[in-house]
Amino acid sequence: MSLDARVGIVLVSHSAELAEGTAALAAQISGGTVAVIPAGGTDEGQLGTSAAKVQRAVKLADSGAGVVILPDLGSAVLTVRALLGEADDLPTPVELADAPFVEGAVAATVAAAGGGDIEAVFAAAEEARHARKV
Amino acid sequence: MPARYEQAITLTGDLHARPAGALAVAAAKFSSAVSLTAGTSSADAKSVLGVMGLGATSGQQVTVAAQGPDAEEAVAAILAILAEATRVGA
Repeated sequence: MSLDARVGIVLVSHSAELAEGTAALAAQISGGTVAVIPAGGTDEGQLGTSAAKVQRAVKLADSGAGVVILPDLGSAVLTVRALLGEADDLPTPVELADAPFVEGAVAATVAAAGGGDIEAVFAAAEEARHARKV
Repeated sequence: MPARYEQAITLTGDLHARPAGALAVAAAKFSSAVSLTAGTSSADAKSVLGVMGLGATSGQQVTVAAQGPDAEEAVAAILAILAEATRVGA
């Protein structure tokens, strides 16, 4: 792990637009120093998830400090879990966070931009469940 | 005992998502605990969602407090971000 390696973030959504928009928002709020890679929609461009897209995104997101993956809804979790169980060429560590999609993406990306390690970034994502906005 | 510093600033703009992010990224670089207080609400400055949750608006006074070995530097850095990033249009 190089001195300035940052934890990467992968956003897995059933919608390509949702993943891309959330990634753009998180990147802007965090100052653009972290790889936050969207993996939305199926390989055919429909609503759904794609293990191949997630796999590519994880490799793109990794810069040596690991990757935190955030899924939007339950069945995205199945895609990610199946991939993590089968693929043997993914970077490590890779963690799957249980967090609200937008808040978790923003919190995780900001934590990564601040130099947090994989545990800190994962914790920031999961703590987003308790953040009140009103 | 680690040093504690605090200083208040009056916001010249609302504390939106982007300044909250810049603030949390900057606060993370200090080992001191850093908090923001606006009105009756306080947040960990290292938590972007906590900072946004303060809902601090233009004209409101925000107190930055830090405790730890680099408390003075942390307060100065956060105040600078609040002064710059909450300007209108930021």
